Amino acid sequence: MAYMSMGEAHRRITEFLNRFSEAVFSQDGPSLKPLLAVSSNSANLLSLADALRVFQDASRLIKQSDKYSQLGEIIVPLLRSFQSSRIGHVVDAYNAFEKSANAFLQEFRNWESAWAMEPVYTIAYEIRVLAERADRELASMGKNPEKLKGAGSFLMKVFGALAGKGPKRVGALYVTCQLFKVYFKLGTVHLCRSVIRSIETAKIFDFEEFPMRDKVTYMYYTGRLEVFNENFLAADQKLTYALMHCNPRSEGNIRMILKYLIPVKLSIGILPKMWLLEKYNLVEYSDVVKALKRGDLRLLRHALQEHEDQFLRSGVYLVLEKLELQVYQRLVKKIYIIQKQRDPSKAHQVKLEVIVKALKWLEMDKDVDEVECIMAILIYKNLMKGYFAHKSKVVVLSKQDPFPKLNGNPVNS
Amino acid sequence: MERNRELGFRMAKKSHSSTHSRSHQTIVPSRSNTSAEFSIKEQRTEDWEGDSPNFPSVIGTCPDMCPAKERAQRERLGDLSVFERLNGNPRRTSPSLAVRKFCRTISAMHMQASDIRPLEVLQDTLTYLFNLLDSSKYPFEVVHDFVFDRTRAIRQDLSMQNIINDQAIHMYEEMVKFHIISLHKLPRFSSNPSISSLHFLNMEQLMKSLVSLYNLYDINRMSNSINKNEAEFYSFYVLLHLGSNSQSMGESLSLWFRRLASTIVKSKEMCFARAVLRFFRMGNYKSFFSTVAAEASNLQFFLIEPFINEWLQASTIPISAPL
Repeated sequence: MAYMSMGEAHRRITEFLNRFSEAVFSQDGPSLKPLLAVSSNSANLLSLADALRVFQDASRLIKQSDKYSQLGEIIVPLLRSFQSSRIGHVVDAYNAFEKSANAFLQEFRNWESAWAMEPVYTIAYEIRVLAERADRELASMGKNPEKLKGAGSFLMKVFGALAGKGPKRVGALYVTCQLFKVYFKLGTVHLCRSVIRSIETAKIFDFEEFPMRDKVTYMYYTGRLEVFNENFLAADQKLTYALMHCNPRSEGNIRMILKYLIPVKLSIGILPKMWLLEKYNLVEYSDVVKALKRGDLRLLRHALQEHEDQFLRSGVYLVLEKLELQVYQRLVKKIYIIQKQRDPSKAHQVKLEVIVKALKWLEMDKDVDEVECIMAILIYKNLMKGYFAHKSKVVVLSKQDPFPKLNGNPVNS
Repeated sequence: MERNRELGFRMAKKSHSSTHSRSHQTIVPSRSNTSAEFSIKEQRTEDWEGDSPNFPSVIGTCPDMCPAKERAQRERLGDLSVFERLNGNPRRTSPSLAVRKFCRTISAMHMQASDIRPLEVLQDTLTYLFNLLDSSKYPFEVVHDFVFDRTRAIRQDLSMQNIINDQAIHMYEEMVKFHIISLHKLPRFSSNPSISSLHFLNMEQLMKSLVSLYNLYDINRMSNSINKNEAEFYSFYVLLHLGSNSQSMGESLSLWFRRLASTIVKSKEMCFARAVLRFFRMGNYKSFFSTVAAEASNLQFFLIEPFINEWLQASTIPISAPL
C-alpha cells in the first residue's frame, strides 16, 4: 500500500463525512446507499479504511463538529466496520455494523417519507452478508456461530419499522426475502411461517404494489417451501410465477427456479425437454426424465442413487422417489402398445407374468404378488383404468383411455 | 477421560423467537477449561420443561432419588405414588422409594444444588425406574405413568446441569426405548379415555427425547465420536413420520434429510427406514410387509405397528390384491 500522509488521510475522512451528512440532510437515498456497503469493497471505501488507519482519531473529529455529531451514533461504528473489514477482522466488522445499523434504524423510524428505502435495503443485505462471513470465521475457530441469528433478529426489527400504513411498507417484501435467506441458511425454515403470514394476511400490504424483483424472490422461496411440504399444485403456481417474471437474462436465477420447478412438473406429469436441462445445466434430472419416458424403473433408481446427496440436500429426493408409480404406468403402457401391434383384439389383457418378465429384463426382481400389488395401486390411483382378474393373474384394461394422463394434477393420494 | 464432556459454567439463554416445539442447541466453548471441552448454550422454546432464563448451570449435590425437602412436602400433602409408599402408607415414604416428581414451573433461580441430583444419582434413579417396569403387581398403564413422569424429571435435571457426555446419551437412548416400548405395550383399545391421552403424551415425550438425543449426537459428533446406536435412533424419526398427518409432528421429512450427515443417511438402519417409507407412501404393502418382516429391529417394529393397524382398519388396501 502506498504511503498516505496524515493530511491526505484527514482529507479523505472529511470527504466521506461530508458526503454522508449531505446525503442525509438532503434526503438523497441513492447517494447514501454506497456509503453503507461495507462488503462491496469499493475503491472509495477501501481507501477510506486505509485513511482511518493512518488518521486514528476520526471519532473525535466527528464529535467535535456540529455537522457530523448528530449522526455520530451511526457513523462512528460504521467507520469501525470499514476498518475491521479491511484488515479481515470479519467478526468485529459485523459487530460494529450491527451497532451502526441499529442506530440508523432508530433515525429511520423518525423520518416520515420513504427517502431512505434504498439505504435500508443496503443495510438489510449487508447485515446478512457480514453475519454469514462472521459465522464462517467463528465456526472455523471452533466457536459458536451466532451472528446470523442476530442478523435475523435485526431484520425482524426492520420489518417492524416497515409494517405500517405509510409509504415505507413497500420495502417489507425485500426484508422478508432477506429473512428467508437467513432462515434457510440457518435451517430454521419454520420461522418463515410468521413472516409469510404477515405479508399475506395483513391488510396494509397489497402484494401487487411490491417491486417485481422482490415478488419473484418471494415466490421462489415460498414455492420451495411448498415443495418441501409436497403441495405440488401450490408449488407449481408459485415457482411458475417466479419463472415467468424473472429477468430472462438472469440465467443463474432461472436455473435456481428450475431446479425446484422441474421435480414439481414431473410430479404432475409434465416433462421438460432435454435442451432445457442442458441449457441450464440441470443434467442431474436427465436420467429421471428418460426413465419416465421409457418406463425404465432401473434407470430411475440408478439416477436417484447417483445424485442422492445432491437431491437430499436440495430437498427434492422424496419428490423424485414418488415418480416410481408413473414409471410403472409407462412400462405397462408400453407393453400394452406392443401387444396392440401384435394382436389388437387381445391387447387390453396384460398378463402379470409378462410384466414380471419385463421387470426382470430391467434387472428388477419382483415376484408376481408384488407386481399384482403394484397393478392394484395403479388402478386405485387412477393411473390405469381396468380391473384385475386375480385367479388368472391378468390385468384387464379398459378399452377407452386405459392410461389416463395426469393433466397437471398430482397422482391421487 | 477425553470422552468425558462434563461442562463448566455457562449462561443458558431462552429463545423467544421460535414458537415451534423444538429445541436448538448450539455449542459455546467453556471459558473455564483449556482442553477441547464444550458446553451447550441451550435455546429452548416455551414448552421446554422448566424455564431457563439466564442462569449459570450448576452441579447438583442431592444424594437421593428425591430431594429431602420434596420428600417431606409430599408426605405432608399425601402426594405419593403407590410405588413410593412405605408399607402402603399414603403419607410415608423413604429415600429408597421416593423419586423426584416432574415440575413444570421450576424456576432454576430458586433451585439449590441440594435439590438437583448429580449424574451418578440420576443414573441409579433411571436404573431403579426401569426395574419397576418388570414388576407385574400393577397394570402396565400405572407403572408407565409413574416412570413417564419420573424420567421426565431426570431429563430436567440433566438439562439444568447441561450434561452432554456419553452417559447422558446412553440415558436418553434408554428413555427413548422406554417410550417406544410403551407405545407397544399400552393397551390400544380401551373404554378408559385416559388411555388415549396416555398414548398422546407418550408420543409427545418420545419426540421430545428423540430430538434432545439428536442434539446430543450432534454435539458429540463434533469431537469425532460417532455413537454406535445413532443410525438406529435416527431411523426412528423417519418411521414416526410414516403417516399422512405426520406434518403436525414437526418439519417435513425433506427438510430434515437436508441436514442429516451422510454417514447416517447411508447407514443400514436408515436405508431400511427409507425403503419402508417409500413402500408405505406408494402403497406397496407387499414389499412393505416383507421388508419389515425381514429387517425390522424390535424397536423399529413397535414404531411401525400403529401404521399397520391403521392400514388394516381403514381398508385403504385395494381390494383385489392379496395379503
